[in-house]
Amino acid sequence: MRPVLHILRLLLTSAPGAMARGAALSVLVLLMGAALLGLSGWFVTATGLAGLGGIGIAFDVFRPSAGVRFLALGRTAARYGERLLTHDATLRALAALRVDLLRRLARLDGRALSRLRGEQVLTRIVADVDALDGLVLRLLLPGTAALAAHLLIFAALAWLLGWPVALAILAGTLPAAALILWRLARRGLRPSTDAENEAQALRRGLIDTIRDREAVILSGRLSEQEERLLAHDAAARGAMAALDRAERDAGRALSLLVALVAAAALVAGGWLLSRGVLDPAKAAIGFFVAVALAEAVWPLRRGVADLGRMVGAARLLAPAPDAAPRPAPVASNPDAPLLRIAVPGLDLTLAPGEAVALTGPSGAGKTELLLRIAGLGPGQGLELYGKHPDRWQEDALRSVVSMLPQRSALVAGTFRDNLSLNGEADEDTLWAALEAVALADVVRERGGLEARLGEAGAGLSGGQARRLALARNLLKKPALLLLDEPTEGLDAATADKVLRGLRAFLPRATIIAAMHRGATHEIFNRTATLGVSPAALSQGESSLVLR
Amino acid sequence: MDQATDAPTRRTTHATLAQARVIAPVRRELRHAGVLSVLAGLLWPVQAAAIAWCIAGWANGAPALERAAVAGLVFALCAALRALLDHRAGALFFAAADQTLSRERAALVRREARAPSATGSAAIAALAVQKLPLLQPWITRYHAAMMRVVVLPPVLLILAFSQSWVVGLTLLVAGPLIPVMMALVGMAAEEASRRQMDEIGDMNQMLMERLAALLDIRLLGAGEASAVAFGARAEALRERSMAVLRIAFLSSTVLELFAALGVALVAVFVGFMLLGEIGFGTWGTPLTLGQGVFLLLIAPEFFQPLRDLAAAWHDRAAGFSVVAELDELDRAERVEPLGTGAAAAPLPGALSVQVRGAEAMVPGGRVPLPDVSLAAGETLALTGPSGCGKSTMLAALAGLAPLASGRIDVCGEPLDDQTADAWRACIALVPQRPHFADTTLGDWLDPKGAGTDPWPALHLADAARVVEGLPEGLATRLGATGGGVSGGEARRLMLARAVLQRGDLILADEPTADLDPETAQRVIAALERLRASGRAVIVATHDPVLAAAMQRQVEIGA
Repeated sequence: MRPVLHILRLLLTSAPGAMARGAALSVLVLLMGAALLGLSGWFVTATGLAGLGGIGIAFDVFRPSAGVRFLALGRTAARYGERLLTHDATLRALAALRVDLLRRLARLDGRALSRLRGEQVLTRIVADVDALDGLVLRLLLPGTAALAAHLLIFAALAWLLGWPVALAILAGTLPAAALILWRLARRGLRPSTDAENEAQALRRGLIDTIRDREAVILSGRLSEQEERLLAHDAAARGAMAALDRAERDAGRALSLLVALVAAAALVAGGWLLSRGVLDPAKAAIGFFVAVALAEAVWPLRRGVADLGRMVGAARLLAPAPDAAPRPAPVASNPDAPLLRIAVPGLDLTLAPGEAVALTGPSGAGKTELLLRIAGLGPGQGLELYGKHPDRWQEDALRSVVSMLPQRSALVAGTFRDNLSLNGEADEDTLWAALEAVALADVVRERGGLEARLGEAGAGLSGGQARRLALARNLLKKPALLLLDEPTEGLDAATADKVLRGLRAFLPRATIIAAMHRGATHEIFNRTATLGVSPAALSQGESSLVLR
Repeated sequence: MDQATDAPTRRTTHATLAQARVIAPVRRELRHAGVLSVLAGLLWPVQAAAIAWCIAGWANGAPALERAAVAGLVFALCAALRALLDHRAGALFFAAADQTLSRERAALVRREARAPSATGSAAIAALAVQKLPLLQPWITRYHAAMMRVVVLPPVLLILAFSQSWVVGLTLLVAGPLIPVMMALVGMAAEEASRRQMDEIGDMNQMLMERLAALLDIRLLGAGEASAVAFGARAEALRERSMAVLRIAFLSSTVLELFAALGVALVAVFVGFMLLGEIGFGTWGTPLTLGQGVFLLLIAPEFFQPLRDLAAAWHDRAAGFSVVAELDELDRAERVEPLGTGAAAAPLPGALSVQVRGAEAMVPGGRVPLPDVSLAAGETLALTGPSGCGKSTMLAALAGLAPLASGRIDVCGEPLDDQTADAWRACIALVPQRPHFADTTLGDWLDPKGAGTDPWPALHLADAARVVEGLPEGLATRLGATGGGVSGGEARRLMLARAVLQRGDLILADEPTADLDPETAQRVIAALERLRASGRAVIVATHDPVLAAAMQRQVEIGA
């Protein structure tokens, strides 16, 4: 329940004003609905009595009939306002939930962050966030409104008609409805979680089967694979059926409850009438109000049935209880060397202004090493100004180190949006950075910095996207620039231009570039080779070849 | 112009098709469920009559408690019956929807796994898992509302007229206005719900994009700035969608207004008639209190089915769009593989392949294949420009693409539906794009679960060190993107998997694409070791170094 509470607090604090107004109008709608039916019932009965008594002329018809019309119109208007406000509050809550998620996930380590590129991981996160959307609109607001409306109506009926009728309604509805909904929540917990998990398994399995189809057919597993997928489908549908059954059972119990409460209100009214406490018109009010209150309890069923799914989603999305807190930041030593690397297979000290090409076979761990220097992995064997990168304070570290990852990603928006992800820069600097990565002409051709890119930078070639991401790093003017395959996807001439350009743009920065080819380019003062493992070293590869 | 005249007809045929595909097979269940649901609705007038009888009795001085007890009992018993009927109807509706979901999903899974269309795997998975369930509200909620609308309002209207023609007329006027408005409101409600879905979709799109770029964002130190920017964009989205919703909700409010006014007017009319201030409106005798209460109670129920239908209106449109996607997939061109794709014993003869005058079928045409013959221990490179048919040739050799003409003989027998499964037991394929399913590396390497020791194969393919370098070795889950291994490593792993399949013939599609020269050399060396161990190898490649390493080269399209 803790994760749900966390999410709940987040949603509530995101738009307390809108949420409170929406809840208030929800209550108003329920109250006016009950008042409308109660007043109409009283009015019809009272006019009937007056007619029978022959005192029709003396009966004040105008105030009650005006009341009926006012309530009918007012309820419609309140309903409109309620819808608007609750949707507004929900949309605000949705945004808050997503912003919070972005903030928290940004604190993960390098490997976990790269994993976020996976389509399946993304789909699952989005599905979970979606599931939580219902928490406000389908559970929290109607639940609060139902409770508040019941309490207010209890007070009103107790004052108007006396305790017996009021009690028949409140004491009958609240505990029993709570029990039914609680049971539904418990019964729905498992199937709603199962349904989601099985659906995700089916989704993954189907993607795997289609993408790996040739291998599946060649290994003679096609029908076996189909059966496995259909088993997931059957399990998912089975869970949905169980959930539907639980929901229908609860629905049956709730509608029976509402009818019983209405009947009890009628009997309570009859009892008070027989004792002469009330007249028939007032005695009828309780019944009509009880019938109207059905609409308060009924909609809760859906939200409660999905509670299990919401809890599951909240568990996956809520922050992990700080199991391994980051080690406390320690002070750096400005006199220490900028960077010292002493890891198996590599021993290297870097001074400001140096540029090193990092080479080594695929899988030697070049990317891993760069990410660790950037503070996104264990910092043992690495010292940045005399202190492990993972012991730096995040903001301080980012102002010193910037890194271009191997597969850099752009966001939808303009060139300027992409360049100023981490802060605005003036026009001249932006263009200078674009010149440095030989992209200025491309940007000009497309209509300048305000030209829009598609989703994930669609519309740019791989090489152009890469250079835009590089320009973004240059604009930070870091003391240490880490580049993972900066010239990947560029032809030799452009690669040369880009390497010269970035050196010229950041003459004093220390640069480490993991390079497949082009490691001998003249901007590099030296080449460092990362061995695969100590075993590789013993075969005669030297760990560090100084040129 | 053409489109404008075309649109309505297309929509009609579209609706007919969707109806035939999804509704017709479960028509009986739906009718059964609908009857139960309507019966439940018809109990309300009985309940209303019991209450009217009680209150009329109260006014006439009948014993109040006794009347209330009897009426309360009738009311509660009817409610219990009603709840049972609704429960049962719900079960039938759900079963009908479930049956449809099961049928369409099984068809989709079986067909796309065998012979995929050009639609991407992610889109197919989204259709099967997220969109197909959208058929359910259409089959259940919409149809329930539809059947109730057809019966309940007319019955209640007749009852109302039987008591008072003024009240009947009030309902009649307010009622049909609702269906008239419904076309309008239904569309607006549809627009509202679609708009909201779009809005959430947009926000999710934005979220996915930011999450995918989160590594860059973190490395740039832009985490906070990016979160703030996301918040600002979400806020702008909210304002835009609220502007639309303000109008969309207004139109559904009009619907409610009619219902509310209808009920209020009935209450006021009845009140005035009971007072005798209105002398007309009944069939001769003045309205009694009992009749008045009865009318008051049935009036809201007259409007309820109409409102339910309006609320369920967009379910139908959502269902239609799912059916449209399914129909689209039905029409997609596909090429069925030979055989069943089930496990079989390998072909008995010695390994040989002969292709003579063959043309392979591909979606939308045929591709001529070069004549080739190959025996055990031989290697062959298929070269040629992109799109010349290298991959098609490999697919045809594996029995994945059927022939339009000519023949392929394998181990001395023609490759056809009968021999394909057994032939595939003799060969292994290294596809062009690596795909790591969501299993452990050990299971991925040995999908049949034969329990063979993978290490010799890993050594042969120069992939042993790759596995050793992974955090959990063979127990690592590489996931869909192969995150954690580089391109060259992925290819060597695929090669090891091909070796483990005990293929006598290895078909490899561009095994050195996107690899640096050093890594490519290791892959080539691994292929050479395979040949030396007595296997035959056919590669499709652009890479001149790899092509030169093979014993023979065949240029396709030459």
